[in-house]
Amino acid sequence: MKNKILNIKNLSKSYGAFKVTNEITIDLHFDEIHALIGPNGAGKSTLIKQIVGSVKHDIGSIILDQEDITDLTDVERAKIGISRTFQVSSIIPQFTAIDNIVLSLLDKSSKTFQLFKSISNNKELYSNAKKILKEIELLEKSDISASDLSHGDRRKLEVGLALAMDPKVFLFDEPMAGLDESGTNMMINLFKKIKSNSPILLIEHDMDAVFALADRVSVINYGKIVATGTVDEIRKNELVRDVYLGYEI
Amino acid sequence: MIVEKIFNKWILVFLFLIPVLGFIFEEPYYITLTTKVVILGIAGIGLNLALGYCGLISFGHAAFFGLGGYVTGILSFHALNSEIMFSWPFVTSGSSDMLVIWPIVILSSAFLALIIGLLSLRTTGVYFIMITLAFAQMLYFFAISWPNYGGEDGLSIYMRNSLPMINTMDPLTFYFICLCWLLIVIFISAKLINSSFGMAFQAIKQNEERVKSFGIETFKVKLLVFVISGTITGLAGSLYTDLNRFISPSVLNWQMSGEIMVFVILGGIARLYGPLVGAAFFIVLEQTLGSYTENWQFWLGLILILEILYVRTGILSLFEKKLKYEK
Repeated sequence: MKNKILNIKNLSKSYGAFKVTNEITIDLHFDEIHALIGPNGAGKSTLIKQIVGSVKHDIGSIILDQEDITDLTDVERAKIGISRTFQVSSIIPQFTAIDNIVLSLLDKSSKTFQLFKSISNNKELYSNAKKILKEIELLEKSDISASDLSHGDRRKLEVGLALAMDPKVFLFDEPMAGLDESGTNMMINLFKKIKSNSPILLIEHDMDAVFALADRVSVINYGKIVATGTVDEIRKNELVRDVYLGYEI
Repeated sequence: MIVEKIFNKWILVFLFLIPVLGFIFEEPYYITLTTKVVILGIAGIGLNLALGYCGLISFGHAAFFGLGGYVTGILSFHALNSEIMFSWPFVTSGSSDMLVIWPIVILSSAFLALIIGLLSLRTTGVYFIMITLAFAQMLYFFAISWPNYGGEDGLSIYMRNSLPMINTMDPLTFYFICLCWLLIVIFISAKLINSSFGMAFQAIKQNEERVKSFGIETFKVKLLVFVISGTITGLAGSLYTDLNRFISPSVLNWQMSGEIMVFVILGGIARLYGPLVGAAFFIVLEQTLGSYTENWQFWLGLILILEILYVRTGILSLFEKKLKYEK
């Protein structure tokens, strides 16, 4: 238990008779990237939504850093250290890239309810935002409106927004979808660097990236975890090959 | 944007010049008309904070406008008639001093906005529109059925409320009092919009789910915006009662909410000076078309349709576009 920062037990969610997640038990250790893979519609994104609190679970519990967060709201969970990216880029479209990052820094720096002080004069916030933009290789595009960024740059910005919150854990939902090779490599290096501070639960369909990054992999199918293990164990698992990986890897 | 800023400065110049010229040429009608523009502009700027910048489509801002108006009217009515207003927890017979009335209007409008906001902000979209409308209509029917203060006929106050050492009965003086309030409201709104709080509420309008994921308590942010918005509109209601020396339930009606919304849409949603331009345009139309036909609002509807189809972001956006072509 001590080496687990996130511990999810028997988490279930049903819509009518359909069980989207079915008694899922999964954990995240300190310093690790735990990848969650599985076919489309298996329940991966719903699990992320349950962990962040935007979808209420029916039964189960979620422990973050030895604190039971099962009954907390989505905002409370974000405040105490769960940071996520969205499967489809979710940004503030009319804000520039740097303003998006500054916004994500507001709560941490207790600046949300500062009513009359001009935000653009806050050098500390903008300097911190620039550091994040540099990490995700978007510094040169910091003044471009987020809606004008390319798909790949929006994915990077998504990760930057999560990064800025300096959370206890990251939940990344397909962060590399649509990225080119250099973008993917940048993300892989970034994730390797940040996991020691904040471990990552990673949903990803790019198997090369998953195998390059993950310390452990869990496979979900029809809302149930069917296997958990190291990359090698998962690669060799017959059931996993049947339901998701196939036999060409 | 630069052209828009220059245009905004010209608006302020006109707001200074027109009443002064009205005074010089002894045409108080123009002073009164410009005072009305300024007051309705303040109401619109209030709504614009919630609607334009935070995406809260309130169809009940008449509640705040009317409350501000009635608080002013009732306090003044008791003071001018030397009648006791209430005797518990202390005895008071109202006040006709604007320095007393304004803080009471601000506090009561803020309190009403807090109550309405606490209940209505739990909903979104069409439900939010309907619940804000319902609150305003409740107050409207309450005012109609309250005979002590004129009921359906409204309440007249035979003298404008006073300020120490200032003759508020003089139209030009009263105009400049209203103009001062307009400048204060514009200053406060500009400060809010450019603050970190402003950043949060403008982001909520675009993507509330994402803002929540940053740990920002969007409900509290929206509630505070709604309270500030309602307070500003309530203040406008107070000035409106003083302008007309009369208040009636019609200012609480949904049509008033609709009119304030029209100022915002006409001038430009989420543009600081938009509601002021919208209010000016509305009143010019009312005065010009209204002199030809009683049904001038038919033409207003036509203009609104054309604007929404072809301009969409309000009259002020025309000046922004011009700059882009110039480039």
